[in-house]
Amino acid sequence: MLTQLSTFFRYSVNSLLRRKLRSLITIAGVASAVAVLYSLLAFQRGYQLGLSRELEKLGAHLLVVPKGCPYDAASIALHGANWPCYLPSKYLTMVTQTQHVAEAAPVLMTAFYDDATQSSRVYCGVLPNILALKKQWTITGSFPKTGEALTGMDIASKNHWTVGQTVKMADIQTPVKISGILNNTQGPDDQFVFIPLGDAQTDFKHADQFTHILVKLDHPDHLEEVVRSLRGCEAGLEMNIVPLAHVFKTIQGLISSTRLLLACVTLAALFAAAIGLSNTVFMSVTERTREIGVLRAMGTERSNIFALVWMETLIMSLIGAAVGLLGATLFEGLVETWLRARLPFVPNGPLMSYEWTIALLAIAAAAIIGGLAGLAPSMRAAGLSPVEAIRRAEGGV
Amino acid sequence: MQPSDQPVVQANKLVKSYPRGSEIVHAVVDIDVEIQQGEYVAIVGASGSGKTTLLQLLGGMDRPTSGTISIAGKEISKLSDRELTRLRREQLGFVFQHFGLLSTLTVAENVALPAILNHKPNHSRVDELLERTGIIHRRNHRPSELSGGEMQRVAIARALINEPKLLLADEPTGNLDSATSERILELIGELNKDGLTIVVVTHNEKLAQCAHRIIQLSDGRIVNTA
Ligand SMILES: Nc1ncnc2c1ncn2[C@@H]1O[C@H](COP(=O)(O)OP(=O)(O)OP(=O)(O)O)[C@@H](O)[C@H]1O
Ligand SMILES: [Mg+2]
Repeated sequence: MLTQLSTFFRYSVNSLLRRKLRSLITIAGVASAVAVLYSLLAFQRGYQLGLSRELEKLGAHLLVVPKGCPYDAASIALHGANWPCYLPSKYLTMVTQTQHVAEAAPVLMTAFYDDATQSSRVYCGVLPNILALKKQWTITGSFPKTGEALTGMDIASKNHWTVGQTVKMADIQTPVKISGILNNTQGPDDQFVFIPLGDAQTDFKHADQFTHILVKLDHPDHLEEVVRSLRGCEAGLEMNIVPLAHVFKTIQGLISSTRLLLACVTLAALFAAAIGLSNTVFMSVTERTREIGVLRAMGTERSNIFALVWMETLIMSLIGAAVGLLGATLFEGLVETWLRARLPFVPNGPLMSYEWTIALLAIAAAAIIGGLAGLAPSMRAAGLSPVEAIRRAEGGV
Repeated sequence: MQPSDQPVVQANKLVKSYPRGSEIVHAVVDIDVEIQQGEYVAIVGASGSGKTTLLQLLGGMDRPTSGTISIAGKEISKLSDRELTRLRREQLGFVFQHFGLLSTLTVAENVALPAILNHKPNHSRVDELLERTGIIHRRNHRPSELSGGEMQRVAIARALINEPKLLLADEPTGNLDSATSERILELIGELNKDGLTIVVVTHNEKLAQCAHRIIQLSDGRIVNTA
């Protein structure tokens, strides 16, 4: 049995080697299709991961902003900027009292443009309950009390601030003591200065106001319910309730045309690879009609002939898959750059996520394509009669 | 086990017709033939007289349009394609004018192949046969590196690997020069002396003369048996 398998395998491989260039071209076709498929899947996954990572850093399921604020308030909250409108304090109680709201953290975000550094300095007035949302935060030092500040890592190192130091910030009248520095979050928080909400309201003259509320639910499944009750409550008309899952979908929608284009390219490539495979194997069966006739005459089962030809197709598609995966990995950087230039919104971090499950998926796709493309030629070969051994004796080798 | 006096092949009223356009070509018509154990039979006749067609029927490569044929005691109309394939593998050996070696395998692998297909690989028998056919020094060569006569020796060794009851050959010397043909003839003659039953289609008169019996065909019918 083993001898038979290894003989068959060698026969198949040798048949492919007989027409090296043709086999190579066919394998290259499969390889490009697999590379494209692998990149597409890695991009889908990477983009999704990047986006959810980004939104997760916000730590909230819902964002509550004043009515009249633009819908892209979410991206303001993400990147930090000056807000055009404010919510009165009393709304916080309503949000907090809504069923299934686990935590409602008010934020007063204020940004000042600094001509010297040509960048914005963003202050977030927060309550200690912000910590319930920012689970991934780790702080060197402590959370700020009145007269103190917690700063992002980047802004601290840019200004050479250290924990315990008292500094004069340009936008705040009295000097502030640095109570803590955030360890790297790899997000926008690294640029922000966090001060107690009360200080912010006094210093920036927005008593009893804040810009947005970050809302965390006891369970994400209650999202629709909470959104409904918030919109229906007394203050509902004055607030905009933005579920971040919708932001997720909206942003994903922004790249849907890019994704569709890539999917079409992938499908076309897979289709072309299948046609190429099928065509190559058909040609090789036709060329070997007499040889297969001889095999049949000397007693090779039809099923064995089928297996021989099918194996050839599978060998080519699996080699193609391996080459394709290798190629996609080698040219990862190029693909990422190319895609970045074409996308309207790109999350921080790597855009492509190459995972072995995705690689397996691409290999499985190649095997399925090879298997299907090999069916017709294998059936043709298995259907050949032993008389072909003699009938084609005229002409040819 | 069948008794040895039973013919290796027994055919009655064999007819094989092919459609060709709107007509039907009768390649073989009403042929009755018996081939006994140990016999050496030559089939001769003009081109197109039906020699190859008859050989295909005797070798179970094709089924007759009508008539019956038993090979090694088995009535082939009663066999499935699988069983007929197995019958060819276990009981018959074939030699072709064009040798029919697999160019991607070595000489020894070519000879071993039918045994491997039969799940009975036997390396010592491969070498024995290569020795017998005088081609052992080429055992690891590819067919493309051999001369025609050498290739035919390999093909004969391959046909014998599964110890067939009957060896069928279609113009085995058709692609060889006369000196080489003669040596192949000698080999076939020796095999027959050792008890192998042989049916050979040929244009070669010398080959035909070595045979015990000559079946002459004309337009698909037997016109003379000598
Ligand atoms: N597959 C086929 N389809 C149609 N006609 C066929 C087929 N095989 C053989 N024939 C016809 O049957 C007749 C007998 O052919 P066959 O090949 O048996 O002759 P042959 O005696 O072997 O000839 P040659 O000496 O040229 O090999 C011929 O007329 C041939 O054209
Ligand atoms: Mg012929």
